[in-house]
Amino acid sequence: MTTFVIRRLLWTIPVLLLVILFTFLMMRQIKGNPFRKTDRAVPAAIQANLDRKFHLDEPWYVQYADYVKGVFSLDLGPSLVLRNQSVNDIVKSHFPISLELGAYAFLFAIVAGVPLGMLAALRANKPSDYLAMLVANVGFAVPSFLVATLLIYYFAVKWNVGLPTSGWRSWDSKILPSIALGFFPMAYFARLVRGTMLETLQQDYVRTARAKGLRRRRVVGLHVLRNSLIPVVTATGPLLGAVITGSFIVETIFAIPGIGRYYVNSVSARDYSVTMGLTILYAVIVIVGNLVVDVLYGFLDPRTREATT
Amino acid sequence: MAVNPQQEELRERVLTRSGGGVDAGAPIRQTSLWRDAWYRYRANRAAVIAGGLFLLLVVYVVFAPILSPYDPYGVDFSQAYQPISWSHPLGTDQYGRDLFTRTALGGRISIGIGFAATIAIMGIGILYGSISGFVGGRLDNGMMRFLDALYGLPYLPFAIIVTQLFQTVNFWVMVTALTIASWFTAARVVRGQIISLKENDYVRAARAVGARWYRILARHLLPNTLGVLIVFAFLELPGVILGEAFLSFIGLGINPPQASWGSLAQDGRDVYLAHPTMILIPSVAIAWLILCAFFIADGLRDALDPRTRET
Amino acid sequence: MALLEVRDLRTYFATRDGDVRAVDGVSFSVERGRTLGIVGESGCGKSVTALSIMGLIPKPPARIVSGSIQFDGKVLTQLREAELENLRGREMAMIFQDPMTSLNPTLTIGTQITETLRRHLGMSARDADRRAVELLEEVRIPRAQERLKDYPHRYSGGMRQRVMIAIALSCNPKLLIADEPTTALDVTVQAGVLDLLEELREEHQMAMIVITHDMGVVAEAADDVVVMYAGQIVEQASSLGLFDRPEHPYTEALLGALPSLEGEGGREARLASIPGRPPDLLDPQAACRFAPRCPFAGLNDYCSVEAPELRELRPGHWVRSAHPASERAPV
Repeated sequence: MTTFVIRRLLWTIPVLLLVILFTFLMMRQIKGNPFRKTDRAVPAAIQANLDRKFHLDEPWYVQYADYVKGVFSLDLGPSLVLRNQSVNDIVKSHFPISLELGAYAFLFAIVAGVPLGMLAALRANKPSDYLAMLVANVGFAVPSFLVATLLIYYFAVKWNVGLPTSGWRSWDSKILPSIALGFFPMAYFARLVRGTMLETLQQDYVRTARAKGLRRRRVVGLHVLRNSLIPVVTATGPLLGAVITGSFIVETIFAIPGIGRYYVNSVSARDYSVTMGLTILYAVIVIVGNLVVDVLYGFLDPRTREATT
Repeated sequence: MAVNPQQEELRERVLTRSGGGVDAGAPIRQTSLWRDAWYRYRANRAAVIAGGLFLLLVVYVVFAPILSPYDPYGVDFSQAYQPISWSHPLGTDQYGRDLFTRTALGGRISIGIGFAATIAIMGIGILYGSISGFVGGRLDNGMMRFLDALYGLPYLPFAIIVTQLFQTVNFWVMVTALTIASWFTAARVVRGQIISLKENDYVRAARAVGARWYRILARHLLPNTLGVLIVFAFLELPGVILGEAFLSFIGLGINPPQASWGSLAQDGRDVYLAHPTMILIPSVAIAWLILCAFFIADGLRDALDPRTRET
Repeated sequence: MALLEVRDLRTYFATRDGDVRAVDGVSFSVERGRTLGIVGESGCGKSVTALSIMGLIPKPPARIVSGSIQFDGKVLTQLREAELENLRGREMAMIFQDPMTSLNPTLTIGTQITETLRRHLGMSARDADRRAVELLEEVRIPRAQERLKDYPHRYSGGMRQRVMIAIALSCNPKLLIADEPTTALDVTVQAGVLDLLEELREEHQMAMIVITHDMGVVAEAADDVVVMYAGQIVEQASSLGLFDRPEHPYTEALLGALPSLEGEGGREARLASIPGRPPDLLDPQAACRFAPRCPFAGLNDYCSVEAPELRELRPGHWVRSAHPASERAPV
């Protein structure tokens, strides 16, 4: 088991390097000068100075090496546009917020989605199944910006429940955005759990469990659930990516000072180092997320523990 | 079950003696593979309805701008924010432009990008996946490791960066960006299919008669993966469309004057409290498309791969 | 009174095209300590009969339309699910055909044995573990103590079937139903499992129902035999009686389908399979269901129009046929 984990960990390094390389090469191709705030051209001398300050005058492989060194010593460089802040500063002050938002969203998704899927599976083809799946399908198809807007419209405006719709300070300001972001994963989980449970319920070993006279609670709660949740865990990996990228939207609509907003702004402003730094941060999250999922999977399914990777 | 002549005779005797009435089993009708699939698809009512709704959407998107008397780009502030009426079935926007027409145009872009990107994704996926799966061995290993690395790239940020490589973000830039950011899963699926089919006897037979690898691939393996691939394509479509919508919504998508559903939604973002229809309409259109795609995919799955039926 | 009495059991499956009559009027009884063999082709309803007895038929599409099942004095068809759960695994147990899929891959073998013990006998974890080891040893699994912690994928097919047997016997049930216990196993392993079953049956003084399509298994294991076809019983007798003088044309065909090394042609003798297919159980005709495949049914015989009843040809030997062997004119 530990060899499995270590091997996977070791693999993340070349992956990360590759990701940095890609991002780096691509960023270099992007036209547009971050220093040109207005249409007036920047005087050559000042431009040269700026280039030197930000090492933009060195050959690309040197820049790349510098950058990689920086990444591994956890220094993502300075922001090219926001003069007084380094990328690290931005990350430090805003990433925790996005992380919290993502965590709550996931929490909502699991707490609402898994039971919904279970209900649908256990009452398959009956009205509760159709209703549950209606909710899930809608949640799946409706883009998150609509979910967010509707939530605000109904909860804050129409029904005036008193839930704040912007900022991220008091506990109640965190409710609506988390639901908005977690709606899609919830729908995903509900559909997935329904599918895997239905499949598991057909399995021979469930029949054996019933033949043993085990109470239904145990049959469903242990035998069925454990096997149904395995695919759900593996699905979390890619979902993580969706949640991260979806946070842009939710953060924008709910005016939440997370890194999603900074990311979008940095792209339009051509703030290369911020864009690059945040992209790499996202990549790290995705890679780590997948790693955790793989390890969890090995944990849950004893058959894979023995398999050589 | 070996059949010998005496048994055949016995069988004949048994079956003919029983005449027409007491015969076991119903007569078998000849149908082709595709007709069979069509019947199975038709059995899934949701899929049929979804297919109809999808076609309806396509018809709307194609014909509404042609038939519309309005200029989708003209500005007429006196007509701004008109409510839904017979002359403006979906109202007007902040510039007085008819939303029915604009939504249809937006649909052309969104659906167009969706299909183009999906086809491109499938194309690259098939290329990569079939080579990797068919050749196998170290090449496969290497290609898959490379793919694993690419999985680390976060989807939307990556697509954003690709769009920024170009001067302006137009239709084909979007298609390219979305394709590059999402072909990985398709490649994996194709590879998986090829690998599982590779060991079949008919492949071995083809090899034994000296067929070249590309012939085996093209004539034997790929047609058998068609079913799975078609279903998969319909499942990729929503992802692409949503991706484009998200990008346009945050302002990093299609540049004006071209508008997609995402950018239309963005237009409506700031005024949704006063004029909710502006964000509602493109969102509903997107959701409509996605739901249809899913139910169609479900029906296709039943039609083309009936073994994996849900209860 | 017999341990198990099944009377006129009818189990139908509701489908879009109507009811499939999987079990259509089946009656038999099993005495304490005796083994009943139920034999027939796939689809004849033998498994559904067993599942009906255990109450394990999938309730939405399937249902017991009529008939009664009495076990140890209790009328099973009238019990609630919770009461049936108490009986299953405790008084009556079942083992299934495919050992590879019948065990939960994510739980240890130990857990799957002890959970039954703890559920029905209220044992503590430690006692249950100890008893589980004893059970594994009884079914001849080597190094039982260590293997308790293993997962099913570490066990071979034959071993898994033994584990299934161990689980089934763990609470000393009065009745064991074995559904095709050897079908999925290698020929070399089959005999061992059958022997084990017989040994344990004697030791625990259990009644047993063995379901199979293999006459050889019936000959080995059963005291009494029921031959099923198309959801009905077509012949019923003691094992000796059946093999000595089979009456129903179908039984004769089944016996003829046994590969044998002696007999006509010796090594060249071909496997005689029974021509034709079993009838559609959706709308079985009123005539004898075996008539289309019966070499003795003539177009003018009444059995082509009306189904024969099950009648007692000899004491203890019942047949549902218009042309039982002892009534046929010598050829």
